[in-house]
Amino acid sequence: MSLIDTIWNWCVDLLHNDIWFYLITTVVKLVLMFAVILAFVVLSVWIERRVAGWIQDRPGPNRAGIPLQLFQRFGSKEKQPLKEWLHFFGIPESCWIAKLCTWLRLDREIPTFGLMQPCLDGGKLFLKQELTPSYVRKVYFTIAPMLVLGPPMVAAAVIPFASSVSTEFGDINMVVANIGIGPLWIFAISGLSVYGLTLAGWSSNSKYPFLGGLRATAQLISYEVAMGLSIIPLLMMFSTLNMQDIVQYQADNGWTLLPLWGEGLSWQRWALLLPLGLSFIIFVTCVFAEANRTPFDMAECETDLVGGYHSEYSSMKFASFFMGEYAAMVIGSALVVTLFLGGWSIGFGADAALHSVCSWLAVFCQFIMFLIKLVAFIFFFVWVRWTLPRFRWDQVMKLGWLVFLELAVANIFLTAAVLYFVK
Amino acid sequence: MDFAISSILFYVFAAMTLICACAVIFSRNPVTSAMNMALCFAGTAALLFGMGAQFLGIVQIIVYAGAILVLFLFVVMMLDIRTEEEDNSFSVFRSLVRMAPGALVAGVFGSMICIAALKLPGATEWNNPLCTACDSIGELAIGEQEPTQVQQSGKYGAALPKLNPAVAAKVLNPAISDEEAAAATSMPDVKLLGQRLFTDYNVAFVILSFALLAGTVGAVALSRKIRKD
Repeated sequence: MSLIDTIWNWCVDLLHNDIWFYLITTVVKLVLMFAVILAFVVLSVWIERRVAGWIQDRPGPNRAGIPLQLFQRFGSKEKQPLKEWLHFFGIPESCWIAKLCTWLRLDREIPTFGLMQPCLDGGKLFLKQELTPSYVRKVYFTIAPMLVLGPPMVAAAVIPFASSVSTEFGDINMVVANIGIGPLWIFAISGLSVYGLTLAGWSSNSKYPFLGGLRATAQLISYEVAMGLSIIPLLMMFSTLNMQDIVQYQADNGWTLLPLWGEGLSWQRWALLLPLGLSFIIFVTCVFAEANRTPFDMAECETDLVGGYHSEYSSMKFASFFMGEYAAMVIGSALVVTLFLGGWSIGFGADAALHSVCSWLAVFCQFIMFLIKLVAFIFFFVWVRWTLPRFRWDQVMKLGWLVFLELAVANIFLTAAVLYFVK
Repeated sequence: MDFAISSILFYVFAAMTLICACAVIFSRNPVTSAMNMALCFAGTAALLFGMGAQFLGIVQIIVYAGAILVLFLFVVMMLDIRTEEEDNSFSVFRSLVRMAPGALVAGVFGSMICIAALKLPGATEWNNPLCTACDSIGELAIGEQEPTQVQQSGKYGAALPKLNPAVAAKVLNPAISDEEAAAATSMPDVKLLGQRLFTDYNVAFVILSFALLAGTVGAVALSRKIRKD
């Protein structure tokens, strides 16, 4: 008993030290954020394939369950466990429950609804032969996939996933790095993944990957300009760059696109919806282009470039590109959710009400809310991919430079006019 | 903690920046040079972060590492690198001709930086420059904020001076009281920079913008093919 007391007291003492408290909470938040991002990379692959199947009127990967034969092999004598269970509960085999169970393939496997499929695909890619062509530039060929996968993970550090909690040891702010330059950090760091694409294309030393790399570079740089300009109207409204403050403002005064409570009910705020909606459209399109997703996947469009910049890659190096692309999609979705759709805020004043009851409960609910919004936006991403056809290369460039750039600049002046004359 | 992690990181990143800067010059492969330059920019950004100037650091990454250098890489990759790599024939005259403009430019920039550095407060007091620099910052110090650690230790190069948020808040808005300024925790560097750019340096800012615009228009005019028909 005294031993447990000693350990407990030691932990409390440790947490009362500011530096240790900061280190421990930061590491915990870091691990949580990494786990969320990596889990969402896997989950978004599954969502992508299931929704693709749904849209194209086919099942998609709905199997990959754990086969019951596996248990038989390890000594279980029952050949048909489902029938045994039905007999045990006294349910006739023609009953709807039995039919439902058969439809769910419970007689053959423990179903996972295809959720195991991405994991198994990952395993397959791990076990595949790693083939490095002899003509590539080896150093850059090796570091290119790392440069694609790394930046989105680092960029996630500034995204808040819940509000803050005050404990007896100090306040815990539910964001890994609470710095005053939130969106800029994400632009800067995720913009660095362009090096990976360019180097992959160049170091492959082969024509199609090179073209893919060049396209990726040109496209990312072009759309970064419009993307940066499109959030200026938001920053004019929030007048802060700190992500946690941005979300707190939305929790108090209505989400950027849904001002239905707090100060958001004033007609001045509703007048701002026009420029904000415009910047939402520009921003989301640019996020699509930045994440190299259809309709903007020029860099890897298989009809004219074989596989684009990753044509020469195999096994886990190819998988790194794949994962990097999905991680960029997850980060892009998280950024859109944070800036436009209220981030972690539950809305309608529920945040403050929950905080007055129990702040841990509030933080938990907000975290769940954030994940729900994230999944919803990833679904939107996938929906667009399987609905719209791919643009032509010159159309992509024209859209970026001749439409979105001008629109974004005009939008800044429009917002300034609205803020000046209406408020 | 007695030692400041930021001081250790300063030396680590400063060393990284310098090594990468040398590698830019010494590597024969232009792509390696460009990548080293990217690391060099990243190191500079890290130094700025360490001083608390987050906005400047992130702008360094967005503008230089994220855009300008990528365009560099873009052009470099399209060059035929082999001719550059195999051109090893040595000639005294040719190397002199190559070196002279570079040395001239480097000399001009080097002396510019030296003059600028010498004009900083305390820079000419050779025995203890950091200390004097901190004293002059310390005059601005507000309330009970200790000026810096350097002043206490009184040793050359003990700990690096940090930017003081309270001073920055006071500079940004002289109307606020000392207590309010002392309560400031984070550097309002975006606001400070914006204020300086659009008031003191407004003319230079506008002239530079026009120079960039002229450059852009010129590039478009030069690269556009004019059809004969």
